[in-house]
Amino acid sequence: MLEAISQNRFAVVAVILFGIGLLNMMLQQNLLKKVIGFSIMDSAVFLLLASLGYIEGHGAPIVEEGNVNASLYINPIPSGLVLTGIVVSISVTAFSLALIQRIYRHYGTIELTELLERAKKEED
Amino acid sequence: MSDRGKSGWKRFAEWVNGDSVARDPTTQYVMNRRPVRAHAPQEFHEERERLRLKKFLGLYPLAASFLCLTLITILFVTVLCIPPFGQPGNPTNNEVSRHYLEYTEQETGATNAVTGMILSYRGFDTLGESCVLFLAVSSVMMLLQRDRNNTDQRTLHRLRREDAIERTHPDNILRKSAKLLSPFILLFALYVLFNGETSPGGGFSGGAILGGGLILYSAAYGPEQLSRLLSRSLYDGVRIMGLMAYALTYGIFIFAGANGITVEMEWMMTVIDLAVGLVVACTIYGFYTMFQRGKL
Repeated sequence: MLEAISQNRFAVVAVILFGIGLLNMMLQQNLLKKVIGFSIMDSAVFLLLASLGYIEGHGAPIVEEGNVNASLYINPIPSGLVLTGIVVSISVTAFSLALIQRIYRHYGTIELTELLERAKKEED
Repeated sequence: MSDRGKSGWKRFAEWVNGDSVARDPTTQYVMNRRPVRAHAPQEFHEERERLRLKKFLGLYPLAASFLCLTLITILFVTVLCIPPFGQPGNPTNNEVSRHYLEYTEQETGATNAVTGMILSYRGFDTLGESCVLFLAVSSVMMLLQRDRNNTDQRTLHRLRREDAIERTHPDNILRKSAKLLSPFILLFALYVLFNGETSPGGGFSGGAILGGGLILYSAAYGPEQLSRLLSRSLYDGVRIMGLMAYALTYGIFIFAGANGITVEMEWMMTVIDLAVGLVVACTIYGFYTMFQRGKL
């Protein structure tokens, strides 16, 4: 088991980070901390993807002209997928932060329980 | 019943809806009676609601932790079973990546396989990403832009005071370093943008550096100074033109490829790279300025 862990150390760290992020997102009452948990989850996914594409001893996928030998370079596909992930994560983070700012401007708090109480009071 | 002439569908609809007026007085009385619950005092309802919320809040952390731990355990067991890290024979390193590495230079004219891949083979994906960025900055603008409806006097007063402080006490260290660094950052961004096919870099990294340079300049010299160079209409124009240039060039790319027309790939990749870079730079700068001031 220890050997399996050390062989897949990046994936193990990614799982731990994912767990930290998910717990943060579900248990924190502060909306800002929820967004931070979301970002940690994103980083875990990026770490996992980037580590899947790496091949030991191979170089960055910038092909030498004329000399094309695929066994010299790492896998370029996960790098492209990480790019997609980063773009989506940035967009979602910015959008949720903007929403939180509007919520704070309207209710004066970003603690979830207080927020619910105030929203309910306003509704009545 | 008197609906002999009606169609079957109408009768069916009436049957589903039920009688709005009861046919005999006993049923009418029962229908008109107020529900028993409504007689209970308001406080009773509030108390019950509060208890329910309390029970939910007490149970929720336990359930959430249990769910998270279960998920992490499953993921952990899966991770122990996946093939070891960094081996060339792993199933992820299949013929698709080999094809990309071997034919990217021939088919797209880019020696950087990642840039070649995301801009030509997976160009639709990247077009979608650019649209996501465009929509994100548009929605952030919708939410945060200051106009008459969402700005009160106090906020305006605070903003004016901050501006006055900034004008009378400029940050000399920031200004001097920004003066020194900004040209080089912008130059480096252009280098990364235009050299993305042959070296590490490309549209996304170049655009991010460009946006970073704009943010540094804006932080050092104030947003007014920059908005004289980059006005709202110019910003919107660059943003929209970037996306449209991408869609148009990639459309030509696909059309030519499907009909067997050989086109010069190099300039096409450069145009797409530049378009992506401009969209990314505008997005990053837009996020900064929206969150900082609420206007461009």
